Amino acid sequence: MNIWESFKIALSSIWNHKVRSILTMLGIIIGVAAVIIIVAIGQGTRTKMTNEFFGTDKNAINIFYEYIPPEGEEPTFWMEPELTNEDVQTLAEVPGVKAVIATNQGFGMMVRNDVQGDMQITGVGAEYFSARKIRVQEGRAFYAADNDGLNRVVMIDTVARKKFFKESENPIGEIIDLNGNPYKVVGVYESPIPEQFRNKDNGEMMMPRAVISMMFGNREIEQLSVIASDPEKVSVTGRLAAETLTEKKGLEDGKYTTNSFEDYEKELNKMISLLTLLIGSIAGISLLVGGIGVMNIMLVSVTERTREIGLRKAIGATRRKILLQFLIEAITLTSLGGLIGMGLAAIGTIIVSKLSPITATMSPLIVLIGISFSAFIGIIFGILPANKASKLSPIDALRYE
Amino acid sequence: MKLNKITKVYGKGSLEVPVLHGIDLTIEDGEFIAIMGPSGSGKSTLMNIIGFLDYPTSGTYELNGEVISSAKESILAKLRNEHIGFVFQQFFMFPRDNALKNVASPLIYAGISKRERTERAKQLLTKVGLEDRMKHLPSELSGGQKQRVAIARALVNNPTIILADEPTGALDSKTSAQIMKLFTQLNEEGKTVIIVTHEEEIAAYAKRIITIKDGMITDDRSVVAS
Repeated sequence: MNIWESFKIALSSIWNHKVRSILTMLGIIIGVAAVIIIVAIGQGTRTKMTNEFFGTDKNAINIFYEYIPPEGEEPTFWMEPELTNEDVQTLAEVPGVKAVIATNQGFGMMVRNDVQGDMQITGVGAEYFSARKIRVQEGRAFYAADNDGLNRVVMIDTVARKKFFKESENPIGEIIDLNGNPYKVVGVYESPIPEQFRNKDNGEMMMPRAVISMMFGNREIEQLSVIASDPEKVSVTGRLAAETLTEKKGLEDGKYTTNSFEDYEKELNKMISLLTLLIGSIAGISLLVGGIGVMNIMLVSVTERTREIGLRKAIGATRRKILLQFLIEAITLTSLGGLIGMGLAAIGTIIVSKLSPITATMSPLIVLIGISFSAFIGIIFGILPANKASKLSPIDALRYE
Repeated sequence: MKLNKITKVYGKGSLEVPVLHGIDLTIEDGEFIAIMGPSGSGKSTLMNIIGFLDYPTSGTYELNGEVISSAKESILAKLRNEHIGFVFQQFFMFPRDNALKNVASPLIYAGISKRERTERAKQLLTKVGLEDRMKHLPSELSGGQKQRVAIARALVNNPTIILADEPTGALDSKTSAQIMKLFTQLNEEGKTVIIVTHEEEIAAYAKRIITIKDGMITDDRSVVAS
């Protein structure tokens, strides 16, 4: 007798007791479905949060100024120190720093022919393009000379190009009007912001940051971040860069510091893991209870089928074959429960994805783990009843009333 | 088949119950034997030992000149499967399998292919006169028909010995006679048939009657076939 024969006997036995089998499987079904839905939601949440908070730039870290009032004094009006190109150069030389991103922001009304729109303007330096991996679609990126020479040039993103220029037009070299002043378009770029967060109406543009400072009266560097060459050392590199800057500026009533996304991400992961663990253990308990239910029913089944076991032994079944038959029956029962649970979980994840902004994803790995785990429960809780069945003496079993 | 000084003791220590006290018995191929005796005489225990359902406490056991010394469960199971065909008083069928499947069931444990199993089961059901009941469930068969299915099942492995424990105990006298005629026919075809019974008229079909009392053979006589 091979495994396949045992499996067929097991299936017909489960089929012959349909209601009982389904009730027995219920614990496993609920347990497996719960585990998989929870894990799927957890993964979906993690992916969503990570994308929202970190975008595409996971190894960049912000450096910002923190005011420290002198001891015993109330905080008073304070000014952030002015940052210069020289400071950017200093940061670029800090070990572990791959690139420095120094930007400021402007906001203005862009007009060309009859089209107009409010534009978000990012003031950048020449290093920005390689640091953020900006793809220039047409024309050129800014040169260092654009910043130093206060050239009134702009770059527009693909959305703005679509809005302000016809497909057939060449925007490069065209003059546009921004808050009443003329600027020359030198390039078209693809925005580094993930598509779903872009300004879909007007798009955005870039200008040399010195020009923004001059035309809008902003400080030349408002946001500062460094990109670490080793993604694992973002926090360390960021802290070192902040300390270097504080030292260079000779600050007494303030310092530069970092707000590590990595720390935040760790917290987030910890929270999700904790939640997953918590609900996972509840589901685990449900699986355990389900397993005990399977064991209970299998024990009842062994008692009920004492005569069948005796007869099988009389016609030549060995202890091993009886053990195998009942073990396979238990495994089939729990695996079937696992499969049904998996089906419910698949439906559950679809519903969750439809009703909430989270895209719950069922990975093939978790499906595999789910099925093997339910089969494993079958082995664990089937061993005792199967062993009991195999040890029945054929004489006693046949005499059993 | 040869049994030498077979004893069987149930229980242990002060609860020891000796059931068989040194049975010596030689059974030749092709014999038709009835084992008789009142209940509690040890005839069922002897049958269990002959059928490898149980093993003796002491004594030796020879089958076809080979001494069976091991009481290992898997070896006994193999011996049962290859050499013994059982027929029980209560028939003992797999209630959800039809007659054909019931007859074929011992062959599963002998590792025989499904096609051959079905083929042999069909032949034997035809032999016991149930060719038109092959697809019937045990619940759809009469007692006599069930016992015929059981006999077909006992024969399917082509065993050395057919061992029947009170095979007519649950049947009326007319059906009993038919079943006993079937056993007689099998014996005439060369099978060794051993029947355990307490009924004189059933024992009368056999060619040799062994009487057991208090765990010992008290009488062993050959009879001329009636």
